[in-house]
Amino acid sequence: MKKVMKFVLKLLGKLAVVGLVTFLVTFTIYMTNAENKIIYYVVRPLLNKHYDSQVRDRRI
Amino acid sequence: MKLTDKLIKAVDKKLERFDPLWQSEHGVGGLRSRYYDKTGVAKYREWRGVKDTFYDYSQWLKNLMSMGMMVGSAPMACLKGFWEYRWMGSYLGTFMFIDRLFEGYRGYELRIAHMNMHAIVQSLTKKIALVLANDRRFGGGPLTDRMVPMDEVLPPLFMAGFKDLIPIPLQTLPEFIICDIDQHIEPYYIDVAESYGLPADVCSRCAAETGVTIDDAFPIFGKGFLSTNMPCNASEATSMFQRRRVNLPYQPVTMAMIHNEPGAHPYSTQELKNAIAFIEKEYGVKYDWNALFERAKHMNEQNTIELEKWDYFKTPYSALVGIAETLYRLYSWASVNGQEDYFTKTDRKVIALMRKAYEEKYRPFAGKTRHRAFLWGPSAVYYTDFPTWIQNCWGINIVLNMDSTMGHNMISTTDPEQAIKDLALFSEKGVMRHHAVGGWDNVNAVWEWAKNFNCDMVLCNDNVACKGMNGVHALLEEQARDLGFHFIFIEHDLEDSRTVSRQDMRKCVNNYMSVVLNEQPLDPTIVEFDDSAAY
Repeated sequence: MKKVMKFVLKLLGKLAVVGLVTFLVTFTIYMTNAENKIIYYVVRPLLNKHYDSQVRDRRI
Repeated sequence: MKLTDKLIKAVDKKLERFDPLWQSEHGVGGLRSRYYDKTGVAKYREWRGVKDTFYDYSQWLKNLMSMGMMVGSAPMACLKGFWEYRWMGSYLGTFMFIDRLFEGYRGYELRIAHMNMHAIVQSLTKKIALVLANDRRFGGGPLTDRMVPMDEVLPPLFMAGFKDLIPIPLQTLPEFIICDIDQHIEPYYIDVAESYGLPADVCSRCAAETGVTIDDAFPIFGKGFLSTNMPCNASEATSMFQRRRVNLPYQPVTMAMIHNEPGAHPYSTQELKNAIAFIEKEYGVKYDWNALFERAKHMNEQNTIELEKWDYFKTPYSALVGIAETLYRLYSWASVNGQEDYFTKTDRKVIALMRKAYEEKYRPFAGKTRHRAFLWGPSAVYYTDFPTWIQNCWGINIVLNMDSTMGHNMISTTDPEQAIKDLALFSEKGVMRHHAVGGWDNVNAVWEWAKNFNCDMVLCNDNVACKGMNGVHALLEEQARDLGFHFIFIEHDLEDSRTVSRQDMRKCVNNYMSVVLNEQPLDPTIVEFDDSAAY
């Protein structure tokens, strides 16, 4: 019984740490608007470069 | 007061100087202060106080998870989609779009806005994954032959009678929704169409759809295509181009254009019957009226709730406001149309909150609203986040937009013959047919709508390339004078922000509010600003 309790407490402790770290990381991304900055300044320019280089057959 | 409430109050007090609404009230900044110039990229997210910021964060996480699930459910198809289709890249702007739409929202209006927005996000992400995973351009999928591409201005509810088929409004993902999220996407497709020879003076939506067609940017699926007589001259060309390029057997569902006369309904009813017969033939399936009745019950419930919402809209205590109301109704009506349970559940939750807010006599936007406006405006109001801006800048609450006035008649859930008649009437009151070119009566109804919803102001969007609405300007101006409404005509070129920019649109309002009404803005930082490089 003691062993089970210990295991459960250990598991809960680990889950709490994972939850806290996840929260800290995601909340930092959210508050600093990091994902939008990366999308706007890095991802989209690269994608646009690719789209502009596409050769498309536009014959009807 | 509980200890946590005390703590939150203390933190709110400490951090209030970061709240843009507090900043504008105290003359030390405002909603535009946290942006980099022109780009629409915010240096940091809006501080709304502890409770509302954490609520907004939780909804951001929820939307992020929906997007993760989309990619997780069809990883290769999504990757191919991003690689192949330019419009897929624009969907990356969704988070910025949502942030823009709900600037200045707090309390009940923020909660309801996010409920509605998440309904759209979870539905769209599922649809994108479904369409890409079954796109013949990528080799097709298990559902390719069970999907039915149909014109997006044709309400898909009547298709619910084919319980094993999946109707997909063809233009919604690659053209319609995305033009709201990214103002730079459609000019590319418009240029494709014009370089092919389409005249530059047609409606930019039709031009953009034609460009998507010629660019081979429509996903391909299904065994038969339901096109329609989209109610614009240029749209008819779009339908023709799309039909040729999609290259599937097709059925044009030519609903009555001028539909306010009783004689139009039998004709539209027959058109729907013909469409059903076409699908039965092409897909080898039988129409099931009971399956239709099941979904019609959902649509009826949603419309019943919508009518109750209208009662709250008439008061100053409606917590569902502005873009949260109009964008949701547009998507849930025109695209979902009773076919997804999630929207019925969302409506139930939203109306419960609206009732609560009304009982508490809760005024949205901290009671800063000065005018109540009825808006007659299409896509240009979404990519400009116009209802949000006009409330934050001038205190004008968009009580209802034209998109919310679409078909709200009930559909019979017991009698097939009556149901198809009801569906014809319902479909005639669809996008644009009901708004611009379905007869003068529909446009002239703006005054009745405005009066019924206790509005003192009418805002009418003037699409400079819309042949259907040309000439209406002077007539409406005269009537506004006679009827005593404040009236603003807002020029725009629908999806081409190069012709009329966002700032040009805002300027129409700024001029009226400052010169005619001699009012001061609530937030001076958003009166004039350059967001030409923003999505």
